[in-house]
Amino acid sequence: MIEFDNVGLRYGDGPEILRDLSFSIAPGSFHFLTGPSGAGKTSLLRLLLLSLRPTRGRISMFDEDVTHLRRDRLLAMRRHIGIVFQEFRLLDHLTTFENVALPLRVLGQTEAHYRANVEELLDWVGLGDRMDAHPPVLSGGEKQRAAIARAVIGRPEILLADEPTGNVDPDLAERLVHLFAELNRMGTTIIIATHELHMLDKFDYPRLLLSDGRLTVDD
Amino acid sequence: MIDADEKSRKTAPIVPAHSVTGRTLMTLIAIMTFLSCMTFGGVVLVQKSAIAWSADVGREVTIQVLPVEGELMDANLRLAETIAEATPGVGDAQALTIEESEALIKPWIGEGLDLTELNIPRLVIVELSDPINADLDRLAEELKAVPGASLDTHAAWREQLNTMAGTIVVTGLLILALIIIATVLAVIFATRGTMASNREIVDVLHFIGASNRFIAGEFQGRFLMIGLRGGMVGGAGALLFFLTAGLVTSSLLPDSSNAQLGILFGRFSLGIDGIIGLLLIVPVIAGLTAITSRMAVRRFLAQIS
Repeated sequence: MIEFDNVGLRYGDGPEILRDLSFSIAPGSFHFLTGPSGAGKTSLLRLLLLSLRPTRGRISMFDEDVTHLRRDRLLAMRRHIGIVFQEFRLLDHLTTFENVALPLRVLGQTEAHYRANVEELLDWVGLGDRMDAHPPVLSGGEKQRAAIARAVIGRPEILLADEPTGNVDPDLAERLVHLFAELNRMGTTIIIATHELHMLDKFDYPRLLLSDGRLTVDD
Repeated sequence: MIDADEKSRKTAPIVPAHSVTGRTLMTLIAIMTFLSCMTFGGVVLVQKSAIAWSADVGREVTIQVLPVEGELMDANLRLAETIAEATPGVGDAQALTIEESEALIKPWIGEGLDLTELNIPRLVIVELSDPINADLDRLAEELKAVPGASLDTHAAWREQLNTMAGTIVVTGLLILALIIIATVLAVIFATRGTMASNREIVDVLHFIGASNRFIAGEFQGRFLMIGLRGGMVGGAGALLFFLTAGLVTSSLLPDSSNAQLGILFGRFSLGIDGIIGLLLIVPVIAGLTAITSRMAVRRFLAQIS
């Protein structure tokens, strides 16, 4: 599903942030992406989200070379990828319901068409009674669950999460990983970037270890 | 059946109304529209007055008969009238009486003077029934038979008037173009500011797969509304000004003054075509705002993509 072949990345004329990355991710798999702060986890996630192009090497996703893909095609492909940010990035002027429905609205669907699906998903992540609340009044855990719901409402084939448990307490963090595991069981490929060792110890999933811009796979 | 909650829920716009620097931009567009309408209305008034005055002056020519020693003025006036009336395209020729001639020059030399001592030139007013086909060259040629007579077609006045009116119209159009350019620049700056302050929304939309076209459309909708509202306020203000000014000049001034003003400067009325033109400025400004903002948004998105 995802194939990196000798990929390198640098910002402008700076040093290479990522070097010689070669790995593949199978469909329906679950990986933790880990490494010390500044190792390049976020940069790698941005490459996976197609919001950055590599400065060298080749990336293939969904059996298509995406290294030099045209922008409109990249956007279309990005709709198959969901992203959850550490800082949630919910839009404060929209309700929880509207935030979660945003990807479907962007696709041109009407509320009448997507309302039942969004409500069902919000019930599933435990936000059924917070649909009309705005993000500023939600707790950290509620925001994170809303962000996850927004990431999966479009039924993406790949779900990326950047430190999704960084802003929540350990109990909720564990529940969130269980939520990701549930999504994975339903067929979604999951990659979670985290530097929380206790989380890695608790869940026995393969790890992508980033260190000094280089990656090793620990199965 | 739709329950009360669903009924009351209204999907919020992706770009919040308060996030676009709406009020300031709307005020600016209202002022620009007002200025555009005033300039346009001024151009229309000048042009209409010039055309009306030129047409009035063009319907009349004057024969001036100077006193010549040994000649009888009355006989020469009669001859000039006869020649004029026989010219094709002339409707009527009428010599001014001595009293009418004296009345004409009284404002220039003052009251209380005995004008009978002066040998003042006399005028024959020639009204043209067909100004376009009137043979004025023939009239001028035949008037050579009348001692001291000369023909004044007011051509120099008309030419000067047309030149002046043309200059005012061109200047007005230039000002209109500058106002429109200033509006476009203001909208570009406002759009850039809005996009920068809404960067988070743009980024989130990009991450969930929204195309630049979709994002531009969301912002353009807001700017179109601002342009329309601002345009309508400015347009309504200008229309009100012209209607009020027209009413004031026609009702407050005495009829005689009003008539003189009308003759000198034309009527203070845009006419139906002028009002339609003025109203058309509103959608033009609104459309211009929408198109400009869309281009600025697309450019911003292309730069950050």
